[in-house]
Amino acid sequence: MKKTFKLFIATCLAFSTLMTVPAFAKETVKVGMSGRYFPFTFSQRGVLQGFEVDVWKEIGKRGDYNVEFVTANFSGLFGMLEAGHIDTIANQITITPARIEKFAFTLPYVVDGAQIVVKKGRDDIQSIHDLKGKKVAVNLGSNFEDILRAIYPENELTIITYDSGFEQDVVLGRTDAFVMDRVSSVQMIKKSGLPLQLAGQPFEKIENAMPFLNIPKQVKLRDQVNQILLSMRKDGVLVKISEKWFGADITQ
Amino acid sequence: MQTSLDIQYIFELFPYLLKYLSVTMGMAIWGFVLALIFSVTIAIIRVFKITVLAQLCALFISFFRGTPLLVQLFLLYYGLPRFFPIFEGLDAFTAAVIGLSLHFSAYMAESIRAAIMGVDKSQMEACLSIGMTRSQAMRRIILPQASRVATPSLMNYFIDMIKSTSLAFTLGVTEIMAVSQMEAASSFKFFESFLAVAFIYWAVVVFFTRIQYLLERYLNRAY
Repeated sequence: MKKTFKLFIATCLAFSTLMTVPAFAKETVKVGMSGRYFPFTFSQRGVLQGFEVDVWKEIGKRGDYNVEFVTANFSGLFGMLEAGHIDTIANQITITPARIEKFAFTLPYVVDGAQIVVKKGRDDIQSIHDLKGKKVAVNLGSNFEDILRAIYPENELTIITYDSGFEQDVVLGRTDAFVMDRVSSVQMIKKSGLPLQLAGQPFEKIENAMPFLNIPKQVKLRDQVNQILLSMRKDGVLVKISEKWFGADITQ
Repeated sequence: MQTSLDIQYIFELFPYLLKYLSVTMGMAIWGFVLALIFSVTIAIIRVFKITVLAQLCALFISFFRGTPLLVQLFLLYYGLPRFFPIFEGLDAFTAAVIGLSLHFSAYMAESIRAAIMGVDKSQMEACLSIGMTRSQAMRRIILPQASRVATPSLMNYFIDMIKSTSLAFTLGVTEIMAVSQMEAASSFKFFESFLAVAFIYWAVVVFFTRIQYLLERYLNRAY
């Protein structure tokens, strides 16, 4: 037991030194993502993958960057960006007026809509107006809460914010519906096999882009990424990545 | 509704989770070692009632016991770099270790103080009567006895700390809890993933409970 313990400490030590060795040579771009947002960013059998991962691998290849993916809780990502621990966030971040004031966004690379999702067989909710008096789940830190609050300024519905797992709560009937973007709702229902269905049409257009800090050095990096995104659009690689993960073009 | 439990999935997940156990344990062990150093220092300052320092320690304890660990981690990792750019280079792992150690040292300091005060006053008087200084008496006589008393509650904090490392994912440290959540995000087998990670935490705690037993037996050898 003593030996195992020693070995164990040694492993821990080795690991912590590994963590502090910086990578040299190419410019390193740290890309923050939650790793919990299928199929944009998720882990399967220990491999981080998804739409955002492929997009950034391509950006890294074209811009000759050393792309480092940093996975963190979604609620922590913007804090990390502000504190300079990461360069940008690739997690289907929606451009909002408040965010645009604070961050330098790239060009939109995903266009999507806000979607209501309910338990299968429920037909009393068909549009945003049917949510009155209902319990609606949204992701913590996402902009869907703002969208709902703008439509219901008098708090005529109960918004519950989750860190994860709200789809389970809707299935269990603890919450009436959840609001998420259309693309990932469709994917999630298909992949999970949970008894959920889309309720009505998407009610708000959303554009996703990657935020950078609004300081000269980061804006320069943002501009380079923009050029690369444009070239990826031009030669169709962006659409190809989209089709790989969604079976559809979600980039326009 | 998914009612069947995919046991095979749980077993498939273990290797991926175990790969990150060293991160979880690295944070907990480093955090605990630092916390032990901080808390013993604080406890001694408080027992000796050293002016100014004792008041500062009281403030330290008040703050770190009075605010949630998650808030402290946020302040440390996201707040400090705003005012002191040098902290931008602070990696998430180190930030988590520092946050955990500060938080837990506040609790542990009180446990250790209680253990020191639990040693009969006459022992200190006896030490002083044969010419030891107060710090000699503390080192040679009081602390060895106090450590025996403090061990069970300190192990409690260590176990608590192991599980608190799961908060580090908010800072971007990928540890076992993070991996289980990320895997669940793609498989949608939340229950299985959480069950798998629960087993690992439990096994680790059982292992350290065994260590505690051996440690206590060693410390109790004179009794």
